Amino acid sequence: MLPLLQLTLAVTTPACAAPLAPYGLGTEPPVKFAVYADVVYTGTGSKYENAMVVLADGKIAAITPGVEAGDGDVHVAAITPGMVDLSAHIWAGGNSVEETEEVTPAFRVAGTLDPFSRDWDRQLKHGVTTVVANPYDNNCIGGLSVALKTGGAPTIEARTVKADVALRGAMGTQPSSKNHPAAGRPTDFYSRRPTTRMGVEWTWRKAMYDALQAEGDEERAFDGLPELLRALDGDLPVFVQAWATQDIRTAIFLKEEMAREGKPGMRLIIDAGAEAWREIDLVVRTKAAVVLPPFTESGRTTDGAFFAADCAAKLHEKGVPLALSSHNARTVGTYLEHQAAYARRGGLEFDAALAAVTINPARMVGIDDRVGSIEVGKDGDLALWNGTPFELTSRVVGVVLEGELIEDPRGE
Amino acid sequence: MGLASTGLAASSLAAATFAAPGTGDDGSIVIKAGKVITLAGDAIADGTIVIENGRVTAVGKDVKYPWNAEVKEYPDSVAFPGFVEALTNSGMDRANENIDVAAFLNVKDSIDPVNFYFEDALRAGITTINVQQGSQCVVGGMGYVVKPVGLTVEEMTVKPNSGVAMSATPKRGKSRSTQALALRRAFEDLRLYLEEVVQDKRDGNDHATREALYQGREPDEETKDGRPMGGSSWKVDGLELIPRWELDEKQAPLLSIVEGKTQVFFYCSAPGDVHTAIRVAKDNGFLDRTVLSLSSSCWKAADHIKESGVPVILSSTLTHVERDPVTGEEQETFVPKVFQDKGVRFALRSYGTSSRSLWYQAALCVAHGMSRAEAVAAVTTTPADFLGLGDRIGTLEKGKDGNVVLFSGDPLSVTSKVEYVVVEGNQVYDRSTDVRMRHLETGAQPENTAPETEQGTPHSHEEPEVEDDEEPDAGENEVEEEDHEGHEEHGDDDNGEN
Repeated sequence: MLPLLQLTLAVTTPACAAPLAPYGLGTEPPVKFAVYADVVYTGTGSKYENAMVVLADGKIAAITPGVEAGDGDVHVAAITPGMVDLSAHIWAGGNSVEETEEVTPAFRVAGTLDPFSRDWDRQLKHGVTTVVANPYDNNCIGGLSVALKTGGAPTIEARTVKADVALRGAMGTQPSSKNHPAAGRPTDFYSRRPTTRMGVEWTWRKAMYDALQAEGDEERAFDGLPELLRALDGDLPVFVQAWATQDIRTAIFLKEEMAREGKPGMRLIIDAGAEAWREIDLVVRTKAAVVLPPFTESGRTTDGAFFAADCAAKLHEKGVPLALSSHNARTVGTYLEHQAAYARRGGLEFDAALAAVTINPARMVGIDDRVGSIEVGKDGDLALWNGTPFELTSRVVGVVLEGELIEDPRGE
Repeated sequence: MGLASTGLAASSLAAATFAAPGTGDDGSIVIKAGKVITLAGDAIADGTIVIENGRVTAVGKDVKYPWNAEVKEYPDSVAFPGFVEALTNSGMDRANENIDVAAFLNVKDSIDPVNFYFEDALRAGITTINVQQGSQCVVGGMGYVVKPVGLTVEEMTVKPNSGVAMSATPKRGKSRSTQALALRRAFEDLRLYLEEVVQDKRDGNDHATREALYQGREPDEETKDGRPMGGSSWKVDGLELIPRWELDEKQAPLLSIVEGKTQVFFYCSAPGDVHTAIRVAKDNGFLDRTVLSLSSSCWKAADHIKESGVPVILSSTLTHVERDPVTGEEQETFVPKVFQDKGVRFALRSYGTSSRSLWYQAALCVAHGMSRAEAVAAVTTTPADFLGLGDRIGTLEKGKDGNVVLFSGDPLSVTSKVEYVVVEGNQVYDRSTDVRMRHLETGAQPENTAPETEQGTPHSHEEPEVEDDEEPDAGENEVEEEDHEGHEEHGDDDNGEN
């Protein structure tokens, strides 16, 4: 907290706080400007009333409570950190799954992302400033995920916050969905393993055992070996899609099996863990983190998994690191802000809901040095709200990305 | 107005949660709530609502009530008037017949009292529902206003024959021009028919006269049952010669429409449809009985709607998204705000099941800058007016129906839940015994039941999407599925990005 105090003193008193006007499109961004809110939620558990957030050179320079906004200033009801979605389905082209192999740990989804997809703007406009793009889950182990900003210069390089943030894969029916057994249909390219859940699990175990046996042996090196070893050593989190109870258990037991094989450090993040509420004790025992899928009205989701409305609340109660995600959010009521709202409806308290869309996902993939909370020195990514966040009676009306006002709430 | 005892054995699950017979099924109850929102004045802290024989007899602080009244105290709850669903196509068998002009149909023959839709509407605090045929028609049948309580349509009825559905949206297989033609033809055919009937009568060629002559008696003096054609548009001379009951049952409802006796709910799924609908209504004299049911793109016709003076019911998708084909930029328009700014009266429809119901739609309106009062009116008093029930429902006032919803907090807050629902003085919903809700909220499997889907069933994988060409707006006024997930906005799919 110290830096905050120092800078608060260094920043001028309210009477002299006359921030420069925010820029318009096409002009040079100013070095410094400020936004004002009735409440600023920092994402670290604190909140400031009638506060000003000063941005300078793309970073947060100060948070000053007890300041009056002037006419023409950007003044909203609430400010939160720009939100982070670990499982936003950013368009990566129609044919971006490598279908010749199910295990492709070295592939980088960053190379296939479409920088001009509308998905970016949709996320950004609704307050999500950082996303993790993942390889599609048609492969058992699809490759390396990347954390990116949802705005700024339209190149993947410029937007990348951190490359290779996780090794992505999936359990369940999706990875094998295109393959079929040889009988009953003409043999074709897809007549191959895996065609079942156990085939998927076997593919994972084989990949891990191959990596274990090839460790240190140059003769046995193969594509993707370094990534698998990094995953086994816990250097690279393993981000596994596992909707149903049995798939969550499979992922967890796999990690524990690897621990018995001498690799106890594997870090597991379960994506779309809709039935994690059924296996909380296992999740806690294995210290896995969980990212939840979008809320559904009927509770029914993929792979027959039932997503109870209080899943988030239950996980939080047991201390499971928890994040929310919106997947393909493109219709009203499905954006990440609404996922947090519905998590609250299921009993998750406000601070935990805020953390689940900001600092928690950032921490899970190790980008919390830059994003996930409003703290001095972090990236100037803010979501501006016209009411209490994560209520349906309010919404994101403005966005600041790396110190620039992207969506101007005064245009309303 | 109490629920009649049916003598049927409802299942124990249903009876406990959604119940007819129970305590106080005589339509009398006294509700004390921590906060009473009447929508007819200021909210009352620690207020009391007295309902006798299904009607509110008093609302206020410290009001008197009979010594033997059944009193329910909810000090932590917020009492609110029951929501009004302006229009739905759910709760029925199929929403439309195959034929174009089917004004003789009536939804009372199709409403299924145990349809999940009604159970869920009650769970969400909706106490009055206008069930209408869908948009797959030219002229549809008659609708009913019902309450989601009761095991027969008669028990459920609040107002029979609430209005006829018509569609300017092309029926499947028709183009916009053939649809417009069919609409005109329906009324032209009516006119021709009436003229023919009158002419036959004058010529002595009508059935009654011929039969009388055949039987050797004087033609009966039945014309006293006839009356001249009413209405404010075209008329057929001599209609007073025809007893009304002699008119073809397929044509009589259309005549009733032209005479301005029937409310009309007119579906429009594109701005152009609005022009068609208003023209047909004007030409046939029922503009002042018309309510338009719009899909989201129709906000573009708001000026024309304002000019014509007709009110509207908005589709469940409140945000209309359009993509600029050149820049790729998406433009979002919040539809209710457009109509509010133009001064057009509008009502809302629920988006989905109880977690995205009318409260949700009203909340979204507030999020987009409308006042709470305006947003809430669109799901209570305004639809009540559209259905001609403004004196009976929509607010908690003396003389109105005793429809009360008890919320655990602010009705528009996402964390609030509907705890109890009282319909016409009977408490018919109690969340604490709602096993389906408990299952949704906690995953608790009710005893002696199996999970709906088996584990491991491959189900709706999110495939990498191939984006389709832009589809014409297929009209959201179609048959609504019970499962409202994955609401797709037609017409927003764009050209392939590859």
